[in-house]
Amino acid sequence: MTSVLASVKGPEIDWAAFSPLLGLFGGALIVLMVGLSSPRVIRAHGVPALTIAAFGATIGLLIWEWNEQVSLIQDALILDRLTILITLLVCVAGIASTLLAWREQAAREIAHGEFFSLLLIAAGGMVVLAASRNLVTTFVGLELLSLPLYILCASRLRSERSLESGLKYLIVGSVGSATLLYGFAMLYGATGETDYAGILTQVVKEGLMGDALFLAAIGMTIVGLAFKASLAPFHQWTPDVYEGAPTPVTAFMSVATKAAALGVIVRLFFTALLPGVDDWRPAWIAIAVISILVGNVGALGQRSLKRMLAFSSIAQAGYLLVGVVVVTELGAEAVVLYLVVYLLANLAAFAVITVRERETGSDAIGSLRGLGARSPILAGAMTLAMLSLAGIPATAGFIGKFRLIEAAADGGYTWLGIVIVVGSMISLAYYLPVVAAMWRPDTEPGVDPATGRAVLAGGAQEAEAERGGWEATLVAAVMGAAILVFGIVPQPLFELVGDVLKGFGTG
Amino acid sequence: MNINWFLIVSALMFALGAIGVLVRRNPLVVLLCLELMLNAGNLALLGFSRMWGDGDGQIFAIVVMVVAACEVAIGLGIVVALYRRRLPIDVDELRELAG
Repeated sequence: MTSVLASVKGPEIDWAAFSPLLGLFGGALIVLMVGLSSPRVIRAHGVPALTIAAFGATIGLLIWEWNEQVSLIQDALILDRLTILITLLVCVAGIASTLLAWREQAAREIAHGEFFSLLLIAAGGMVVLAASRNLVTTFVGLELLSLPLYILCASRLRSERSLESGLKYLIVGSVGSATLLYGFAMLYGATGETDYAGILTQVVKEGLMGDALFLAAIGMTIVGLAFKASLAPFHQWTPDVYEGAPTPVTAFMSVATKAAALGVIVRLFFTALLPGVDDWRPAWIAIAVISILVGNVGALGQRSLKRMLAFSSIAQAGYLLVGVVVVTELGAEAVVLYLVVYLLANLAAFAVITVRERETGSDAIGSLRGLGARSPILAGAMTLAMLSLAGIPATAGFIGKFRLIEAAADGGYTWLGIVIVVGSMISLAYYLPVVAAMWRPDTEPGVDPATGRAVLAGGAQEAEAERGGWEATLVAAVMGAAILVFGIVPQPLFELVGDVLKGFGTG
Repeated sequence: MNINWFLIVSALMFALGAIGVLVRRNPLVVLLCLELMLNAGNLALLGFSRMWGDGDGQIFAIVVMVVAACEVAIGLGIVVALYRRRLPIDVDELRELAG
């Protein structure tokens, strides 16, 4: 027995490089345990505080490994610059969503420990996905991020819309996973390998470009990933799920899932499938153009802010794809840069929506009316977020779009840059009314325009501020300030995303 | 046995599952059809694994089985929660969110 055990050799694991993942998953376990304790104050406040500590510890461990480039567990995962940047984005989104969820009804309904540990597990899944260099770990990472999100979407157990959004997301997400799995099975059938490096060697050696099985594999992989990244024409679930899910969960989903999905698209298509670039490029170009058009046109005329941001996120995902299809280092850098500015704007917007939803019980655009006079900080953050999403100069969004268009022109796809500009022009038609609604003075003073009820004197306002919570306001203020600072001084951003492809071993 | 037979059966299973998800109304049947799609992928993996004569595909298939079990558990949990809310167990009736 001992001799058998001695002959079995486990894979080498570099624990230092593996530690960010352990931070997230260990944090999830601790949060789940602490959530069982009986004092209510520990459950309601200790658990979210611990969650933030876990995300913070992960960021700390990452910065420790900043310049490392280590392959983990026999090349199943890799810690390189792309992994580190995506993990950083996911953790920042996680901290912001935890702050937004601090007083959330949903966290109380399914118990705080469960809610926040699911959030940490989903974040861990995103890191696994972005770091994976093997078809098996890619699939596991994808499911590890999806499964907790299905539950989180349905976490307001007494709300029909929340349950409905959870079930819809589960069904559509599982169709996406099954399609992706079938694509991976064919990829394995065509090459006989499951790790990206092996697939790359086989594709080049056997000259599989244009091979029917290989093409079918690429097609199904693209469809599966497009479902996950909510790209048109596989986007129909997005508005429903975004609207029905609790707002902090929507905030996390819209930002972090997109970062992880784009991370895996860049890694899979820039390494394993790079020789087949002429096979997959037209498909991604078509999806990018359709997403930009469908997202921007669909957002016009939406009255719910969450639905509007859902359509806008489809369009933003289309912009991001432009950086992928040029297949250059500049393109990959532009993608990560745009992910950062998209994160700042979306989190600021969802923080404001969270506050207003708690105060008025609705996420209609009308609920923002008159916000500028009552709460200039929230209104200012929302204004900056909308302008940044539209790509107005002096906001971070302009820098991001500028880089994407530059990458498109540099890669010989100037017309895709023009599509981005046209899309941004359409988008002004739905971002600007939000800004206008906030700063236009109330027509009927004394009546709350959102609810139509008479506003009581000062005391009610204070009670409202109490329900909204200072945490969400803090998130909005910090993200809004970051949008402005990075819009004026973008140099730190450029330095952050530099060398993103370092360690890919390819162009 | 020729690998083609495995692939034909698995493609049929995948298509049946996809059609089922699209046309069936009961969420329980939809969950069954999702299982069918995932297991079609498993069958393809096992066929290819046999063709290449290595174990990678088999290990992948075992991992997929675990994932599929988790998915169904969550799906059933949500269906039970919906039932407790006395909502109609029919995906067409889920129109609270206009999609």
